[in-house]
Amino acid sequence: MSKEEILKKISDAVVNGKPAVAKEGSEEALKNGVRPIEAINDGLVRGMAIVGDRFAQHQAYLPQVLISSQALYAGLDVLLPAIPKGESVAKKTVAVAVVEGDVHDIGKNILKTLIIAGGYQVIDLGRDVPTEEVLAATESKKPDVLALSTLMTPTMLSIRDAVDGLKESGYRSKVLVAVGGAPVSQTFSDEIGADHKDNDAIHHVAWLKEVL
Amino acid sequence: MTKPLTHIERGLAALQNEPVDRLTTYPLAMGVNRRLVNGGVTYREWAHDPKLYAQSFIEGQKKYDFDFAIGLMDLSVMAGDLGAHVRFDQENTPFVDKHIIHDPEDYEKLEVPDITKGRSAVLLEGTKLFAQALKNDVITAGFVEGPLLALSQSAGAERLFLDLALNPSAVHGALETLTEYDSRLVEGFAETGAAGLCWDYLWGNYSCLGDAEYHEFEAQYAHKLNKLTRDKGLAVCIHNCADMPHLDTQIKEYKPAIYSMAYYPFNPDSPSASKVIADGYADDALIGGNIDPQLFLSGTEAQIRKATSEVTQEVKTALCKRGLKSRYCIASGCEIPPDVATRLENIGAVVDVVKKEGSIQY
Repeated sequence: MSKEEILKKISDAVVNGKPAVAKEGSEEALKNGVRPIEAINDGLVRGMAIVGDRFAQHQAYLPQVLISSQALYAGLDVLLPAIPKGESVAKKTVAVAVVEGDVHDIGKNILKTLIIAGGYQVIDLGRDVPTEEVLAATESKKPDVLALSTLMTPTMLSIRDAVDGLKESGYRSKVLVAVGGAPVSQTFSDEIGADHKDNDAIHHVAWLKEVL
Repeated sequence: MTKPLTHIERGLAALQNEPVDRLTTYPLAMGVNRRLVNGGVTYREWAHDPKLYAQSFIEGQKKYDFDFAIGLMDLSVMAGDLGAHVRFDQENTPFVDKHIIHDPEDYEKLEVPDITKGRSAVLLEGTKLFAQALKNDVITAGFVEGPLLALSQSAGAERLFLDLALNPSAVHGALETLTEYDSRLVEGFAETGAAGLCWDYLWGNYSCLGDAEYHEFEAQYAHKLNKLTRDKGLAVCIHNCADMPHLDTQIKEYKPAIYSMAYYPFNPDSPSASKVIADGYADDALIGGNIDPQLFLSGTEAQIRKATSEVTQEVKTALCKRGLKSRYCIASGCEIPPDVATRLENIGAVVDVVKKEGSIQY
């Protein structure tokens, strides 16, 4: 199998939502001397970008995106550990979290997948993340963007708390803050001083490409 | 100018597209009304006590003079009674924090709970109490989760959406169980004296499911439940606060009496009030919408008055262009945030603006 055929196999596996094939193709890539980063970018990420485009155009829906993301992660499980030390996966990093008090994370997980497909590195802080953990992780892991979301109105205040915490610690100027989720309005985003507000993953990735 | 109408006369006229003295209005004040009972009760108290639950709608009606009363509690009632753990914070809408579906085999383990127990019973009894109390004032309706929504609350949305693709037969098995659960609830709501039953068919949303998936995993069950609802003498109402609702399926196929929806102006594919009317969806259903619910929390009274005025004018113009008389209810696009910080005066402001500006010349 040529390098191009292996990369296409990986990409197609993501597009078609085949985790086992994505894993197999990723292993073949390593056996055949394909650089892990190349297999990620030209195989996995390329496939996920196709799925993301279809999602944006309403040609694919959540079930397809989710099974494709499973294939993406199956390939990443093989390829990420094979990256030589000192060679970074991506230059820019986005930390994502569902804030304290909220466990609804499907939106965050879709966002995470499409950010990876956009060519960025993601630090997933999880869901129902205490504000102190958001602040500590932001300062220690130094993401370029901190993306905070919630599905519920009352827990929007946890987003405000996190942004206020960054201001108090003096770290706010060192990280871009994006906020999102169904109840999050532009007015709220402006009030708390976020850099960006989005309610869907596609537009968020487009914004990342503008600012990073 | 049509003579002044009572709330019930106005609501019935709007449902039949007859002339009205003014447009109907119902900002979706549900959980927020708990603040009007006994100086304010917690969400846990409100969602476990049918008397407190009912009293909140009665107090809301007294304070705001709405045209309808629809009894939403929260979207974790069914999942909780199926066995999922529901988290009750003092002032936060209850939500499922521990799901009960972890493997495909778990779908077939679901069993219809006893609706005379748990929060299903609270919901039914509470609906009965407020429906009886308000039956001479407004058109009342209960509120219930559709099968796919209840299943997503039980499994988690991500798990469920994956299984739509990977384990469809297991999902269908669970949806049969939940349809049976919903059927028993319909029979229970039919005994409450409410005039209608509002279904939450949230996943009929092009952001989540295409037509094929939606028909496979919800429409076939919804058709059965809508028919049962009508057979039991209840009007079918639907609430869907998604950004891109399946209007053809949920309005043209389901034929609800009332369809409540939201509007997301940042999304070019989200239909505005005037577009919904122009596209014919108000021809056969009373459409409710679409004031931004967040305005009740973060907006000033002047801002929400302006927003209400704008949507009222938009609706009146669109109805006139379409040759319709009254088939739009000025409402919030989704439930008013039940947050303690929600500005109660903003609810009254919406009703006041519609009273002043909602009349239509015929």
